[in-house]
Amino acid sequence: MAELQGLGAQLSEAEKVGVEIVAISPDPNEQSQKVAEGLRLGYRFLADRDLAVARRYGLVHPGGGPDGQDVPRPATVVLDRDGVVRWFSVSHNFQVRPDPGDVLRAVRAL
Amino acid sequence: MTTSTRLAALSVVIAIGAIAAYVFLLRVAVVRNHPEGYVVAFVLATALAALAVVRARGRRWPAWVALGLSGLLLLGGAWFNFVVARVPATPTALRVGERPPDFTLPDAAGRPVSLADYRGKKPVVIVFYRGYW
Repeated sequence: MAELQGLGAQLSEAEKVGVEIVAISPDPNEQSQKVAEGLRLGYRFLADRDLAVARRYGLVHPGGGPDGQDVPRPATVVLDRDGVVRWFSVSHNFQVRPDPGDVLRAVRAL
Repeated sequence: MTTSTRLAALSVVIAIGAIAAYVFLLRVAVVRNHPEGYVVAFVLATALAALAVVRARGRRWPAWVALGLSGLLLLGGAWFNFVVARVPATPTALRVGERPPDFTLPDAAGRPVSLADYRGKKPVVIVFYRGYW
């Protein structure tokens, strides 16, 4: 959640000009959506229960979960209005996430 | 207080302080994105404790306690940061200048959302995250 909060706070400006932030995880996400709305973050939480989308994107960390289950590799992707990738970052250490400032710069450069 | 005990105390303060700083400052990007910082702190704490053991005269247990604590934290922290948290670099479907694969997933209310819905309308930031289990 800390990650989403940090990103959301910095992107709030970008959101105003109409950037959609889509957060994808294997969670059911009702709780995440409530938390995000409580923090007034304009996030759309999508449930990728079986990691089908993460797999299609090549973003699965096999056996990376606490119980040895597959989990998504943390990644952030910036798409322009035409749906073309303009910037992305894929984590090599699950403690590390992109700097929200870098994401914001990529969004502003669109 | 002997020099050895002071070194031992400093070692414990650095080791515990590193954990506290990392946990409490997790929302600060520069702290979160440099997890090797706590490993460096544990190395320093272990070195100070080792020095405390060498300098110990008479009362030796504070130095040994500090060395045990910092040594365990160093092993555990290094194992977590360099082994457990490492994500293997596998090829992704992401290429700058190309469209990524389309998808349709349910949102928190169960409504289907497609990436293609946004095309021609608004830019999108997709965040893949591990979830909370």
